[in-house]
Amino acid sequence: MFAVETEKLTKRYGKTFALKNLDFTIDDNEIMVLLGPNGSGKTTLLLILATVLKATSGSAKVMGMDVSSQSTRVRKILGIAFQEARGFWRHKPADILRFHAKVCGVPKAEREERITNILKNLELWKGRNKLFMHLSGGQAKRQEVAKLFVQRPKFAIFDEPTSQVDLRGKRQIWEQILKLRDEGSTLLVATNEVREAEYLADRVTVLNSGTRVVCDTVRRLKDSIAGGDVVELELDATDIGGLLDTLGQIEGTVKIADAGSNKLKAHVSMAESWVPRMTELCYENKARILSVRVTEPSLDDVFLHFAGRGLSDES
Amino acid sequence: MSELRVIFAIARSDFSYFFRTKWLMAVLLSLSLSDMLVVALVYKRIMSIDYFKYFVPASIIMGLFAASMDVGRRIWLALREGVIQYELSLPVSTKGLVAAYLIAGGAAALVYASALMAIAFLVLPAHAIWSAIVLLPFLFVLAIGLAGIAATLAAIASTHGEFFFAFQNIVQTLLLVLSTVYYPVNVIQAYLPQPLALAATYNPLSLASEALRNYTFDGLPVELGLLGNILLTSVFLAVIGAVSYYWALHRFQVKGKI
Repeated sequence: MFAVETEKLTKRYGKTFALKNLDFTIDDNEIMVLLGPNGSGKTTLLLILATVLKATSGSAKVMGMDVSSQSTRVRKILGIAFQEARGFWRHKPADILRFHAKVCGVPKAEREERITNILKNLELWKGRNKLFMHLSGGQAKRQEVAKLFVQRPKFAIFDEPTSQVDLRGKRQIWEQILKLRDEGSTLLVATNEVREAEYLADRVTVLNSGTRVVCDTVRRLKDSIAGGDVVELELDATDIGGLLDTLGQIEGTVKIADAGSNKLKAHVSMAESWVPRMTELCYENKARILSVRVTEPSLDDVFLHFAGRGLSDES
Repeated sequence: MSELRVIFAIARSDFSYFFRTKWLMAVLLSLSLSDMLVVALVYKRIMSIDYFKYFVPASIIMGLFAASMDVGRRIWLALREGVIQYELSLPVSTKGLVAAYLIAGGAAALVYASALMAIAFLVLPAHAIWSAIVLLPFLFVLAIGLAGIAATLAAIASTHGEFFFAFQNIVQTLLLVLSTVYYPVNVIQAYLPQPLALAATYNPLSLASEALRNYTFDGLPVELGLLGNILLTSVFLAVIGAVSYYWALHRFQVKGKI
């Protein structure tokens, strides 16, 4: 059984489809990252799975429970950190976390310790008694994700967990997310930050215009782009032209060209298998390798490859 | 955690939010206290009737009304700030969430009105306290009913900016004009058509202020009939409010907005 499963899930706002016949699964205890540009349907999917919104048609199940007909049971095992921090102006971070922990059934004996640890870990300790309305954007965001780290739900949903957060804070949040996974939670993280996706994902689902474009591990997605890896070579050789023909015969070579000054640039499908073969051939042809530089495609390239546009392009 | 415990935890959080809003407390208290301690006492000296006994129950019911209606402001804020999305993800049914808000509205109003009553007891005989204690559960149900109305207004106004406050004023004017809170029923009968006068008589605010006047301030024996009428009319308001707010939340879940 999948931890999360949707079948032909559709959500329509008037005539606009936010999700269109989406089939999607998450395995137990994995981090699934939803990657897509603004308006691709990420947040709508999260809100349906969190029982906040109701689907127009199709079904969605969390741990085998239907999010529409068994919403109260689903709510008992999930937690969601929203894209925009949710809180009343006059509440304080520590109070918000206490309330959340209590309502979500965190044992009383553990509550204060968990809250203290998370507030300190996410550098919110000094601001714990500030009013919510006085928190900066980054602090409010940390406070939002802190709720889930205190709760430790079986199914945790994060909508752009590190937007507005500085680099140090991003790293702290990512570590906590990985820790949640290690403690047994299943996680769904929506983001349009490539670096975040690469750091966190066990698998990535690329969404575009409410439909699933592709779903796989980051490694396999990158490898699936023909010519996605770029290998730049610097050689101590005189017959660069002859070597070009030889290296061009290696399986997985999409394009190879002379880059001048005894340098070659090759676009290959899988650098991991291409580079060892290239080394052998250079040795056989008595060409000494001075340097090798491999650049793999980013998830933005993956998105561009599968969706036909970049992540940052507006729909 | 059981559903009931979650409902009470949410209700408690909302209840405390009412008392945290210091500017609102200052406004409400200054209005109520000036009515009770200035207007009523001054008028008592210049009128032939004991205006204090007539007007202070009105102030207390008005305080109950204003405090219970404030739940509408809090719901309106929850809708505007997106807190409602958070609450819909908590381990409680949507019906439970509606119940939590109405209970919080009722409880906050009851505490506020009780505080005003306590001030009035400074000049009332000791036996009045017992009559007031008998009335409290009925005032609580009335406050829940009013909170239901406020919740409905908030849901209707959620997409219309500050309209909530306009709606609240319209309802306040209607409910208070068509009531015997501030003037006796014969005045209403003299100036308004019979159906409106009848509505004013059975307005739960009229019933509550009459009960407070008769049993607490005049020391008359408690009649179950009047208490039953308060209960019935208040439950009616509460059911309308609860159903409307539940419907508003359902609509939000389907349309993504109210």
